[in-house]
Amino acid sequence: MTTLADLEKGHEFPPAPFDLSDQWVDAYVASVEDEAIGALEGAFVPPMAVAALAIRALLEHASLPPGTLHAGQELTFTAPVRRGEALTVAARIASRGERAGWALMGVELNVARDGEAVMTGRAMISFPLAEGAAA
Amino acid sequence: MSLAAGATLPTVTKTITQEKINAYSLAGGDGNPLHTDPAFAASTQFGGTIAHGMLVLAYVSEMLTAAFGEDWLASGRLKVRFRAPARPGDRLTASGKVTSHEGGKTICEVECRNEAGEVLVSGEAEVSR
Repeated sequence: MTTLADLEKGHEFPPAPFDLSDQWVDAYVASVEDEAIGALEGAFVPPMAVAALAIRALLEHASLPPGTLHAGQELTFTAPVRRGEALTVAARIASRGERAGWALMGVELNVARDGEAVMTGRAMISFPLAEGAAA
Repeated sequence: MSLAAGATLPTVTKTITQEKINAYSLAGGDGNPLHTDPAFAASTQFGGTIAHGMLVLAYVSEMLTAAFGEDWLASGRLKVRFRAPARPGDRLTASGKVTSHEGGKTICEVECRNEAGEVLVSGEAEVSR
């Protein structure tokens, strides 16, 4: 499988649809023990769940190289998202550089519902250029 | 109602366990062995498994949901750096403080620390309110 290490700046991932099923949302909420989202009326999904599922969709196209670290994250939420909704994530390698044996990569994420953005973001990750370099 | 500058946000405290990390790996589809494979993780600079940054960040977002409700879901913005890893057994506390109000937005500084006081995540959040 392709890894992010194989991809260059400007690479665009194919749009990936995903559904916020009750089963998946329940598993996510349980894993992060989110007690606040359940206090809101409206079957809302935690906004970080949308971000997590966007990254999950990305990883179905390119896996993380061993030793990948998450250096930073920017997220903007523009509309509440509810259980059962269908979303589409688009992603692009916005930047890529190298320093001291590590690659530094910025990945832009855009999640939309019916063509309108509900979340945009940018993940900054780093990974060793040679396998085992992080050891 | 907006919180005044200087107001603190309600903290969120969680204890990281390997089971929680594994559960997040399944939900998030992130099979990075640094999180789930003790043998691999022991061979890295971390010496053992660490939690996903997005798992720790979920605690910060939970705090912001508790503080701002649906406004956070509809207009939240978060920009953070991951500064140190969270490990199984760590007791983490997400906290934040309103720093200013600008153009209809409430600006907060946010962070997450372990029980030793080490800052694991720090950054800024803003929400229309």
